[in-house]
Amino acid sequence: MDFIAVFDNLNWDSFVQLTVNGLTLGSAYALIALGYSLVYGILKLLNFAHGDVFMVGAFIGWGVIGVLGGSANPIVPVWLAISFMIIAAALGCALLGVVIERFAYRPLRNAPRIAPLISALGVSFFLQNSVLLLFSADFKTYNTFDFSGGTLFLSGINWGPLHISLLRIIVIGSAFAMMGLLALLVYRTRLGKAMRATSFDREAAAMMGIDVDRVIVWTFFIGSALAGVAGVLVGLIFSQINHFMGFNYGLKGFTAAVVGGIGNVPGAMLGGLLIGLAESYSFGYISDVWQNLIVFSILVAFMLGRPSGILGRADIKKV
Amino acid sequence: MRRRGITIATVLAVVAAAVAASLVGRAAPSASAAPSASACMKVKLGVLAPLTGPAAFLGQEQLSWVQYAISSFNKKYKTSFGVKQGDSQLSASLARTVGRQFVADKSIFGVVGGSTSQSVISTGDLFKAAKLVSVSGSATRVDLTSGKNSTFFRVVPNDSVQAPNIANFVSGKLKAKRVLVVDSQDDYSTALAPAVGAALKAKGVKVDTGSVAADATDFSNLITTSVAGDTDVVVFATQTASAANALSQQLIEQGKKALVLGTDGAYSPSQYKPKHGYVSSFANDLNFLPSAKSIVAGYKTFSKGKTFGTFGPPSYMAAWVIMNAANNACKDGHATRGEVVTQVKKTNVPSILGGNLKFTAHGDVAGAKFYIFEITNGSYKNVA
Amino acid sequence: MSEPNAPPLEGPGIGKDEWVARVEARTQSGLPGEIRRFLLALPPWARIALIAVPAACIPALTNNGYFLQVAIDTSLFVLLALGLNIAVGWAGLLDLGYIAFYGFGAYGYAMLASGHTGLHWQAEVAIPVVVVATALLGFLLGLPSWRLVGDYLAIVTLFFFQIFLTVVNNGQRIQLPFKKLEAGLTRGPNGISDVDPLNFFGWHLNSLREYLWLAVGAFVVVIGALYLVNESRTGRAWRALREDPLAAEVMSMPVNWLKLVAFAAGAGIAGLTGTIFAAEQGSVFPSNFDLALLITLYAMVILGGVGSIYGVVIGAVVINVSLEVLRTPAHASWLFFIGLVLVFPVILKSWRLRGLVVAGVIGFGFAVHGIVGALWSGGVDGSTTGEAWIDRLIDNWVLLPNDPTVIGRWAYVTLIAAVLGLTLLRGLWRAAAIVPVLYLAACVWENVLVLQPSVARYIMLGGMLVALMAARPQGLLGSPRVEIV
Repeated sequence: MDFIAVFDNLNWDSFVQLTVNGLTLGSAYALIALGYSLVYGILKLLNFAHGDVFMVGAFIGWGVIGVLGGSANPIVPVWLAISFMIIAAALGCALLGVVIERFAYRPLRNAPRIAPLISALGVSFFLQNSVLLLFSADFKTYNTFDFSGGTLFLSGINWGPLHISLLRIIVIGSAFAMMGLLALLVYRTRLGKAMRATSFDREAAAMMGIDVDRVIVWTFFIGSALAGVAGVLVGLIFSQINHFMGFNYGLKGFTAAVVGGIGNVPGAMLGGLLIGLAESYSFGYISDVWQNLIVFSILVAFMLGRPSGILGRADIKKV
Repeated sequence: MRRRGITIATVLAVVAAAVAASLVGRAAPSASAAPSASACMKVKLGVLAPLTGPAAFLGQEQLSWVQYAISSFNKKYKTSFGVKQGDSQLSASLARTVGRQFVADKSIFGVVGGSTSQSVISTGDLFKAAKLVSVSGSATRVDLTSGKNSTFFRVVPNDSVQAPNIANFVSGKLKAKRVLVVDSQDDYSTALAPAVGAALKAKGVKVDTGSVAADATDFSNLITTSVAGDTDVVVFATQTASAANALSQQLIEQGKKALVLGTDGAYSPSQYKPKHGYVSSFANDLNFLPSAKSIVAGYKTFSKGKTFGTFGPPSYMAAWVIMNAANNACKDGHATRGEVVTQVKKTNVPSILGGNLKFTAHGDVAGAKFYIFEITNGSYKNVA
Repeated sequence: MSEPNAPPLEGPGIGKDEWVARVEARTQSGLPGEIRRFLLALPPWARIALIAVPAACIPALTNNGYFLQVAIDTSLFVLLALGLNIAVGWAGLLDLGYIAFYGFGAYGYAMLASGHTGLHWQAEVAIPVVVVATALLGFLLGLPSWRLVGDYLAIVTLFFFQIFLTVVNNGQRIQLPFKKLEAGLTRGPNGISDVDPLNFFGWHLNSLREYLWLAVGAFVVVIGALYLVNESRTGRAWRALREDPLAAEVMSMPVNWLKLVAFAAGAGIAGLTGTIFAAEQGSVFPSNFDLALLITLYAMVILGGVGSIYGVVIGAVVINVSLEVLRTPAHASWLFFIGLVLVFPVILKSWRLRGLVVAGVIGFGFAVHGIVGALWSGGVDGSTTGEAWIDRLIDNWVLLPNDPTVIGRWAYVTLIAAVLGLTLLRGLWRAAAIVPVLYLAACVWENVLVLQPSVARYIMLGGMLVALMAARPQGLLGSPRVEIV
C-alpha cells in the first residue's frame, strides 16, 4: 500500500472498529502518560526510564502467568489470574520506580537540569539491556488466546460485522478504573493535596511543612504502578512483549502527556486517548507506513504551537 | 619552559608510538608470520552470525549446528577443525569489523555465514579480496548470487524460488481469490513481499498490500483497514514467528475468515501455533523427516537436548561443505584459501536435508525448492 | 619528568577562595596531578600531535585489517563525540537527534556518489556539499530551541531522530519528483550498497590505511578548529549560555543565534564523519544509525568530561577500545579485573583498607569455592573459555555452575541490589560489605556477562551514565561546576 491506503473497505463499521482499536491503545498510553505527567509536575524531570518501567511490568505479568501454570490451564480461575498479574506488576513496578528515584534521581536533586536527564537515559538503557540479558531477545508471549479456550477473544459485543472482544472491554475498563482511582487520590486525599502543592511550588510546599521527599517517593510509587498495570494490559491484549517495547510506548506516553498538558491529570488521560485515536485513524485513513511520522509531527507542532498542552496552563516564568 | 614542554611532548609521542608498536606487534604475528599455505593442522571456520542481540536465537542455533558438524566431521575424517565465533549482532557495520577479523586470522579457511543478507553484502568485498570462501545457511536475498561475489555460496534456495512457490500454493492448492500481502519493513520482507504479490497477480489473484513495523504487536488496525470480508489468505512476510501467531489470533478476534501464511522467517513450531494456518520454509524440518532420525538423535546428544527449527541444519551443511573442501585441498599436505574456494565450487556431497548438495555457477544451491507446512491446532504437516 | 614541584599550599593565596584552593590541592597532588600539569603546560598543537601522531603511525606497525578497522572506527567515534560535545557540553542543549545528522551525512554521500543514483561525484565536491547540507539541517533542527528548553528540546530532537529513521527505513516507497530512482529514495532497509570510495581529484582511497589517515586528518582539522572556537568569543558565549541562559541574554548575547550555531556546527561535524563512514563501509543501512549508538556517544562525552575537548577524545577512545576488547570473552576477563583495579581507589580511601579488602576478596573467594565444591559439585563444574593461566586461576576461584542460566539470573539481580545497598553504607561497614559484593560481581561477570558481550557492554554503559551522574558529573577531565547561590 503506497502513500494512500485502500479505501474500498473503509466504512462506518471500520470507523467504529478503528475507534475501538485506538481507544485500546490510547488507554494504555494514558496510563503511561499519567506517570510522566505526575513526575514532571513535581520534579520537572522527563523520566526517560518510565517506558522501561512499563516494559518491566509486562515482564512481571508474563512471569506470573508462568508461575500460575501457563495460560492454557492456570491453577486459579482466569479472572483471579489476571488480577494477580495486574497486582504483581503494579507492586513490582512501584518498587522499581521508588528504587530508581532513590538511587538515580535523588542525588541529583539540585544538579543542572541536564544531569538527571542523562541519568534517566542511563537507567532506561540499563533496564532494557538487563531484561535482554535475563530473558533473551525473542518475543515472549502471554498466550492470552489460550485463556479459557479463546473466550476472551471470541465473546464480547457483536454488532453487525463489528466485533468488540471481551478482552478489549476488560482492558479499556480497567484502564479507566485506574484513572478514576488516581483522580480520586489526587483530588480527594491529603496525599493528593500535598502532591498538588508540591507540584505548584516545591519550596513553598516544603516551607508549609510538607515532606517533599516523601511526596516525591509516593509520586514515583503511583506513577510506576500505573505503568506496570499498563504493561500487563498491553501484554494481555497484544499477547507479545519484548525488551524494547518500552521505548515506543514511552515515547507515545510522553507525547500524550505533553498534548494533554504536562502536569495535568485529566490532560494526560485525554492526551493518551487522543494519541491512540490519531494513530488508529492515520493508519486507517492515511497510511500504514507513515503513521508514526504523522503522530510525531502532530506532537512537534503541538510543542511549538502550544507547549502548555490542551488542558495545561501556560507556565509564566518569573525572574 | 615552553621549549622543554615541546621536547617532552615529542619524546612522549615517540614512546607512545613505540608502546603501540610493541602491543600491536605482539598481537600481530598470527597475522603476518603464519604462511598462507599452512600445514592444515589448525584450520578454523569462522561463524558470522548474530550470536547476541535481537536475533540471537537464530545465531545460537546456527553456531550449535556448526559445532556439531565440526565434531562429526573431525570424528569421521580424523581432522582437527576448530571454530571461531564472530558476533554480528544483526548490524552490518559490526559484521564488517568481524569480517576483517576473519580475513586477518590466517588460520580461518572458510566462513559459515553471514546469516543475514545485509551482513553478506557488507562483507562481500572483503572476503572476495582475501579469496576467503563464505557459505551461508540462511541468507536468501536474490541479488547476493548475481555473480559479483565469486567466493559466496549458499546452501538454501533464494527468494526467487520462494515467491513463486508460495504463489503457486496459494492460488493452486488453497484456491484463494483475494490475498493480502504484508511486509514488516525490514530488509528481508521488503524484498520478498512485492515478489510474492507480483507472482500472485500473475496468477490472476486479487492482491492487496499492507505494511507493519518490524516490532509491531498490534495488528488490529491492519486487519480493520486491509483485510476485507472476502480475503482468503494473508501472506505475512516476517522474521518474527510470534508476530505471525498474534496476527492469526487477532484475525479471529475481529471475526475474519482469512488464514495466515507465514514466510520462512515465521517458521517455528514452538512460537507460531495458529488454529489453522500455513508456513513456508527454506529447508525441510529434520524433526519431521524420517530419514534424519539418526542425525537428530546425534544432535540432541551433542547439544544436551537443545531444540531446533530450520535455521541450524543448513548451517551444518555449510560447515560440512567448507570442511570437505578444505580436507580435499589439504590432501597434498598444504592448502590456500584460493584452493578451498575451487574445491567448494566442485562440491557434491550427500545432504542431511535430502539428496546431494551441488552449487550452480553463481553459488546457488542446484535444484532447490521451498517447503510449505500446514498447521492445525499447532501441529505441523508438510503439504508441499 | 623534572617539572619543579608546585609550591606547597599553605592556606589560600591572595584572591583565592579557600574551597577552590582545597580542591586544587587535592586534584593537583600525586601522579595524576603531575600528568595534568604537564599536559596543561603543553602548547595546544603539541597536545593534538600527542594524539594524532601515534594514531597515524598505526598502519606502519601493522597491516592487520582488523586493527586498522578498529582504529578507523575509533577515529570516527572521536569525531562524532567532538561534534556532540558542542551542543551538549558547550551550549548545554540536550540534542538526542544527533545520530540523524550522522546518518544524513552518510546517506547524503551515498546519494551523491554511488551506483544507486548514478551520480559519481568527486569527494572534493561531495564532502563540502554534504557537510554544508547537514549543517543547514542542524540549523533547522536548532530552530525549535528558540522556544523549547531542556526536556522538550530533548524530546523534539528525539522525534527528529525517529522521523529520520522512519524515512530512510521506508525510503524505497518515496520517489523524487524530478528524477526516477529504480529503488526509491534510499532503497529502504536494504540500504545503499554500492557507495563509491572517496576520490579526491582523482586520488582514490581504497585501502584501510588511507582511510585511517583521512580520519586522523579530519580529526586534526576539527579539533584545531574547535580549539580556536572554544577560546573565542563564541566559545565563551556558549559557556555562558550553558551556565545561565537568562543571564546570558541579559548580557545582550544573541542567545538564539548561539544555539543555532551550536546545533549547526555539531551537525556539520557529524555529516563529515558520515561521509567517511559511508565511503569506508562502501554501503549504508538504516540499522547503522540506532539508539544504542546515541547512548554510546553520550557515554563517551560524559565519561571524558562534558565540555572538555581532550576529555571527550579520551572518553571516545577508552570506551570504543574497551567495547572492542569486550567482544572476546577471554579478553573480557582481563578488562573486568583492570576495571576493578581502577575503580578501587575511588571507593576506599586508605591504603590499609584497600589491601585488607583485596586480601579479603581473594580469601573469601577460595573459601566459598571450597565450601560450595564440597556441598554441591555441580556448582563449580563449569570452566571459563580461556586457556591462559589466569583462566585456570579463575576456574578455581569463581563459582562456575554447570548450567548458569537460572542461577545467573538470580545472581545478577542480587548483584544489582547489593551494589545499590553498598552505596548506602559508610565507613568500615562499607569496607566489610565490599568483600562479598566484589566476589559476587566476579561470579556474575564470568557466568553471565561474559557470555553475552553485546548486552553486557550496553548494561555497563547505562550503569556508568547513572553512576557518573551521581558521583562525578564532570567526568574524567571536566571541571566541576560550582553552584553559587
